Amino acid sequence: MSVISISHITKSFGDVQVLKDFNEVFQDGEFITLLGPSGCGKTTMLRILAGFERPTSGELSIDGVVVNSDTVFIPPEKREIGMVFQSYAVWPHMTVFDNVAYPLKIKKVPKDVIKKKVMDILEVVHLSQYADRLPSQLSGGQQQRVALGRALVAEPKLLLLDEPLSNLDAKLRENMRYEIKDIQKKLGITVVYVTHDQIEAMTMSDRVFVINRGVVQQVGSPEDIYKRPANQFVADFVGKLNFLKGKVENGRIQLKGLSQSLPYTGPLTGDVMVCIRPENIHITPKEISVLSGTLSHIYYLGNENDCRVQLGDDIFIRMSTYPDLHDLKLGQELFMELSDFLVYPDDGEAHTKILT
Amino acid sequence: MASQKSAAISTKRGSFHFDAKWIFIIAIIAFLLVFQVLPLIYLLVRSFFPEGHFSLEAFARIYSYALNWTALKNTIITGGAAMIFGVLIAFPLAWLVGRTNMYGKNFFRTLFVMTYMVPPYVGAMAWLRLLNPNAGILNKFLMDLFHLAEAPFNIYTLGGLTWVLTSFYYPYAFITISRAMEKMDPSLEEAARISGASPLRTLFTVTLPLMMPSIVAAALLVFVAAISCYGIPSIVGAPGQIHTVTTRIIDYVYIGNQEGITDSTVLAVFLMALALIVLYVSNIPLKRQYITVSGKSTRPNIVDLGKWRWVATLGVTLFAIVVVVIPFATVFATSFTMNMGKPLTLDNMTFKYWNTIFSRKAIISSTQNSITAAFLAATFGLLVSCVMAYLLKRTNVKGRHIPDFLITVGSGTPSVVIALALIMTMSGKFGINIYNTMAIMVIAYMIKYMLMGMRSVVSAFSQISPSLEEAAQISGSGWVRRFKDIIIPLILPSIVAGWFLIFMPCFYELTMSTLLYSADTKTLGVELYTYQTYHSQQTASALASAILIVVMTMNILLNKLTKGKFSI
Ligand SMILES: Nc1ncnc2c1ncn2[C@@H]1O[C@H](COP(=O)(O)OP(=O)(O)O)[C@@H](O)[C@H]1O
Ligand SMILES: [Mg+2]
Repeated sequence: MSVISISHITKSFGDVQVLKDFNEVFQDGEFITLLGPSGCGKTTMLRILAGFERPTSGELSIDGVVVNSDTVFIPPEKREIGMVFQSYAVWPHMTVFDNVAYPLKIKKVPKDVIKKKVMDILEVVHLSQYADRLPSQLSGGQQQRVALGRALVAEPKLLLLDEPLSNLDAKLRENMRYEIKDIQKKLGITVVYVTHDQIEAMTMSDRVFVINRGVVQQVGSPEDIYKRPANQFVADFVGKLNFLKGKVENGRIQLKGLSQSLPYTGPLTGDVMVCIRPENIHITPKEISVLSGTLSHIYYLGNENDCRVQLGDDIFIRMSTYPDLHDLKLGQELFMELSDFLVYPDDGEAHTKILT
Repeated sequence: MASQKSAAISTKRGSFHFDAKWIFIIAIIAFLLVFQVLPLIYLLVRSFFPEGHFSLEAFARIYSYALNWTALKNTIITGGAAMIFGVLIAFPLAWLVGRTNMYGKNFFRTLFVMTYMVPPYVGAMAWLRLLNPNAGILNKFLMDLFHLAEAPFNIYTLGGLTWVLTSFYYPYAFITISRAMEKMDPSLEEAARISGASPLRTLFTVTLPLMMPSIVAAALLVFVAAISCYGIPSIVGAPGQIHTVTTRIIDYVYIGNQEGITDSTVLAVFLMALALIVLYVSNIPLKRQYITVSGKSTRPNIVDLGKWRWVATLGVTLFAIVVVVIPFATVFATSFTMNMGKPLTLDNMTFKYWNTIFSRKAIISSTQNSITAAFLAATFGLLVSCVMAYLLKRTNVKGRHIPDFLITVGSGTPSVVIALALIMTMSGKFGINIYNTMAIMVIAYMIKYMLMGMRSVVSAFSQISPSLEEAAQISGSGWVRRFKDIIIPLILPSIVAGWFLIFMPCFYELTMSTLLYSADTKTLGVELYTYQTYHSQQTASALASAILIVVMTMNILLNKLTKGKFSI
């Protein structure tokens, strides 16, 4: 129910610029995820949306109303936003009911309406029977749901979540991912979700913003960023990746340090970086293979094996194999084909090819 | 083979550690039992069994005397008022300094925290000079300014006493409340803001209720400090015949005979009970202190005061001028004033009092005594603190909370009571006679001030992850070795800070010294008090100024030494 326009937002703390020229429109009802490594500026962006930080420059508007610009600043309490904090921030001196009722009390909603709305929301977050408990009597996951209930109770136009699942254990985290997604669909609200966990980003989002050092590297659907990463950083951050240096020669990429080459028909010339996902490497008969090497390590993961194959001196790649499909022995020679790989220009230093 | 051998050694070492811990614990407990528990219990018993058999006669005698009743009343009134005003001042100050965009926050924080380390009697001296009804500088100034016929203020009143107590004990509350505010997860407040609450509403519905346990603790701390204070009521109250329990106790001891001692014990028991009960109560809310999951990288959110920014800054500045600058400046100025009846002009200016304090033999020897006693108390106190911190934070030896408890009780016991109890038990009655020696003073100082050092070391300890030590252990280093190689270097700043925290209050201590000093062990505090009351206020002011300079220098030194991590 809310459109957020961000234009040319930057943010510096002292001399350090943590956000560089953020430009985007979040559409009504969209589930947006800001994904990036710790310290890349995700929280800062979210806090600018909430009004806890003022951008150094740029303009922000929610539903056409400017809330942040050089001259305008609407404080957080006037923005009608729901927010879930990483630490939950559930008030320990209030019961679950009072915590959730708080935004309505501020709005001077009549008592009986408050009661009904709070109970409805508690139903949604599965906390109905805990209404009278104090937060100290709740588990981490339950506190987290109190925070979610409190953020939703006033029917905000926009919901912000800052790594809401990072303090939960793995199992609960998985459940909560689906619950949050369900609630968002049911209420049809716009959500901006901050995380450094790519799985969370992939499973929940309509669009993912991959951020590094305050710059958006790529915007796209989960599938886009996984299958068509805009650069090496995105490719590396989302999923696992092998990097091989090479040079384009006569429609093939000659791999450096190896006497092997890959077929290539793309537009790049000169030095390139080849990126291969472990799951895109498959064992094949020698005749149709493009790569060969010696199996040097096998790590058993249960559903699959994580293997290291030595292609040449000091050059290894990771590949996934399936225990049921192949019976592999250390030291044996392997022939492989690639179902997909990515090629980026190589400026000499691996991993640094990002937008700045 | 080799591995078997080393396993055998480590088992042997293991049992040795256990013994070493017990030796330390027992030594500390024995010290506290002999010099703290036994004297305090004796004091209690003695007040009920004055002549060897049970009698409430002393109680009847003491409490039938109107003067004592008034003293009790005065103590509770002034202590209560100082508590209320102290918190009313400290909370807004802590909030403004910690949570808003007021100008000069760091400066003000340092300033208010520093006054915590100033001997309270300096405040008494200053306000006496400023607000005495006959010739108070401020009184005269206001009379001239507004053409008043009478002095507007009289320091020799309950109000005057309350004012000085408040202005010197609010830092206790300020520090306690500031710390709690720093510890609070700022997203708790942000959650209120995003829920639609204004900053003010957030303050009242979230910040204040969450801070309540700390506010109560801070209030009670101020109360206990104020009722236990001797320096301020003895200087401000005495001329106006305003007695408090502490001044009555010391008057009774000075009578010198058995009856005097008995009477003082009866009052001391009252004071001790009041102080310890209050401190016990103040720990109840602390135990209930809310535990919240704290996220990473949250920074305190700063409230934009908007147009109030200047108003707040101005208000705090005025407060600082009245409470810190004016009194200190007054004491400093007095130390240069030839004729106290006249204003400080060039004609009326002299360095002779400063000369006196650096040349008079008695003052120099008192200073030496104070330095020696404070040095010994700080060093031994810190030794105990380090061991205690280790026992508390790194072991689960059963008895480790006993000495911790005793040290806490010792620090909460009013100084007069500690000194009185030591006098009564340590002058040969039980085979130990250290009366009139420096030892008795060092012991008294340790009992009263060791906790400050211990807190500093313990909190440093709890911030070092045990795994650092375990890494040393796995590398084969024993208990003592680990302490020396890993712990000491890591907590050195806190150790230095802890040492100073014990040293400073002992260095200028007045109350216990007043009861415990002898001709050979007179201390700086006593010397200053004697000058202030009987000889020359200017000399006393020069001494006080010198003490202030020492305290501040140490503070700055401490700050430099520990790279800004510590100062008080
Ligand atoms: N209030 C602040 N003052 C100074 N630096 C800050 C402040 N808040 C964040 N930063 C810095 O900005 C950068 C981005 O922080 P943040 O947005 O919290 O990262 P993320 O949430 O992506 O981990 C970090 O380097 C952080 O240290
Ligand atoms: Mg963050």
